[in-house]
Amino acid sequence: MATEPCVLLVDDEARILSALRRSLRREGFEIVTAESAAEALRILDERPVDAIVSDQKMPGGSGLSLLAEAARRRPDAARMLITGVTDEIPRDALEAAGVCALITKPWDDARLKATLRRALGLDPSS
Amino acid sequence: MEASSRVHILLVEPPGAGREVSAALAALAGAARVSVASDSRSCADLCAAGEVDVVVAHPELGEEASAVLASAGLDGPPVVVVTPATDPAAALEWFRRGAADCVAARGQLPEALGLALLEQIRRRRAIVERGAADRRIRDLERYNDHIIQNMNSALLVVDAAACITACNPPAERILGRDAEGLHGRPLGPGLDGPARLLQRSLATGARFRGAESEIVREDGSVVPIGISCAPILDSDGVRIGAVATFQDLSEMRQLQRQVLQSEKLASLGQLAAGVAHEINNPMGFIHANLAQMAEYARDLRRAWSRVEELQKALAAGQREEVEGAALRLAATADEVDVAYLLSDLVKAIRESQEGSERIRHIVSDLRDFSHQDTGQRVPADVNQCLESTANIVWPMMKHLVVLEKEYRELPAVSCFPMQLKQVFMNLLVNAFQAIEERIGPGGGSGRIRLRTRRTADGVEIQVEDDGVGVAAENLGRLFDPFFTTKKVGMGTGLGLSTCYSIVRRHGGTIRVEGRPGRGALFRVLLPLDGGGEEADGD
Repeated sequence: MATEPCVLLVDDEARILSALRRSLRREGFEIVTAESAAEALRILDERPVDAIVSDQKMPGGSGLSLLAEAARRRPDAARMLITGVTDEIPRDALEAAGVCALITKPWDDARLKATLRRALGLDPSS
Repeated sequence: MEASSRVHILLVEPPGAGREVSAALAALAGAARVSVASDSRSCADLCAAGEVDVVVAHPELGEEASAVLASAGLDGPPVVVVTPATDPAAALEWFRRGAADCVAARGQLPEALGLALLEQIRRRRAIVERGAADRRIRDLERYNDHIIQNMNSALLVVDAAACITACNPPAERILGRDAEGLHGRPLGPGLDGPARLLQRSLATGARFRGAESEIVREDGSVVPIGISCAPILDSDGVRIGAVATFQDLSEMRQLQRQVLQSEKLASLGQLAAGVAHEINNPMGFIHANLAQMAEYARDLRRAWSRVEELQKALAAGQREEVEGAALRLAATADEVDVAYLLSDLVKAIRESQEGSERIRHIVSDLRDFSHQDTGQRVPADVNQCLESTANIVWPMMKHLVVLEKEYRELPAVSCFPMQLKQVFMNLLVNAFQAIEERIGPGGGSGRIRLRTRRTADGVEIQVEDDGVGVAAENLGRLFDPFFTTKKVGMGTGLGLSTCYSIVRRHGGTIRVEGRPGRGALFRVLLPLDGGGEEADGD
């Protein structure tokens, strides 16, 4: 059996991390969490990660700049942005950071899981 | 009588009478015009024509002199009666009948008559002149009265004892009372506002321009007024009264309230994105938690159905079935991880409750902020106004800004709290936007410092940021309406001008210190009494 894919969740709001963890409980992922961009980068340097799901608005650095930096450090990791406000994120900035999905809060559990599985290249039927 | 024309002396002399009086008057002919009437009737005609300055009655008129006195009339020229002899009793009788003087027709008649006439003419002149002066005063009074009655402003005048001496129709309308009922009365209940100002004008000579006050009508309704007051000085500079002009500000206040409300809603609009974010975060985890808890419930129900199977088996008493049911229960409990579900359920509920509490707070803060003042000043804690406003704007700025607060204990300030919150809101939003502008897309953070302190006669509130600052050439225009340096859609240009008018309405001042690139510091100074009356000038 292959090792579980590792998903890094980043949000300055601990309650969001805890809720995301609940949503993904049954997905068979290894879940790692970080409460800031700096902490997320530290984790990226320490271990391989298959997907990053990051909040956009965080003190000390936006999710977008975190994902752009993550693209350099872990180009293979799928990058997803999750945000409470969508109108201020330009499409080209999303593309530049190689963001493969934009999820809005509040999110739909089923869609979040499907998006994540697709990003990780997991066929839901397999 | 024309003062410049020659004096007109009318001698009433019966035909054929002695010439001694004519002779005496002849001496005056150069200085005066002398004409002769033969009886009281022609005397009356000339006097009625207003051409005669003084009448002389000839001694030979006898009792006819009475008719001459009558013909001159009460308001007519004075009559000097020449009597045949010096006779005090007769003279008294003539005086009683209205003679101005009596002269005996003997001895030095020309001198005596001349002196008597001179005196009468002098008196007559004085009377005429006084009449003219009285008329000028009456004209002036009427002139002033016309101005007062027809001016658009309400006018109230009091004397040195602070009793009302004038009140024009616009004042009657605003006060809701008749001038008649006010005349000569002291400024009564309901007029406390104007009374205070007028009494200060009377006591100290203070002038007030554009002060704000209010009047309470007899029906209890309150009329906000803009009032100006000044003392009235006599020619020696002694204060003999005071005058107040005022306007009804009800309509203006209503408009101001509407402008304030729309400005407030505009700033709420600017907050909308931040507020949405702040609500979407807890909504996000509450929503996800609910979905998970529904799953937990399904799993727990599955485990419970195994419990029920076991109970049934126990009731049936078949050992094998009991064992099978127990095994299935253990397997299901293990599969759904009942222990985890039960402990995480408690956590998920607690976290969701906390999230919904946060949303409730945001919504109630917003509702509180969008409320309007009642129109009455109330004593309020300025620290609390500042804090609750900071709580509303905090969500939209917390990812970029460190907020430092330094609140000192403050006495209550008589104010319109919602209006003050509007001032703080505008200053905070400006500070945040200045920081955003300085940081740009590159990233970084900023600092906003809120300080309050007590001053000698009020309170001071400072809002300091380390944003882009204010260019020197813009400092003077910062509080002008529609002046903005913000991008289109980011500001109405009314924020600071609204702040300015609100602070002024509270009798305070607002100042800015700013250097380009090094942030800005706004200082709001408020008096404790809310500046209900704002002195201006001496």
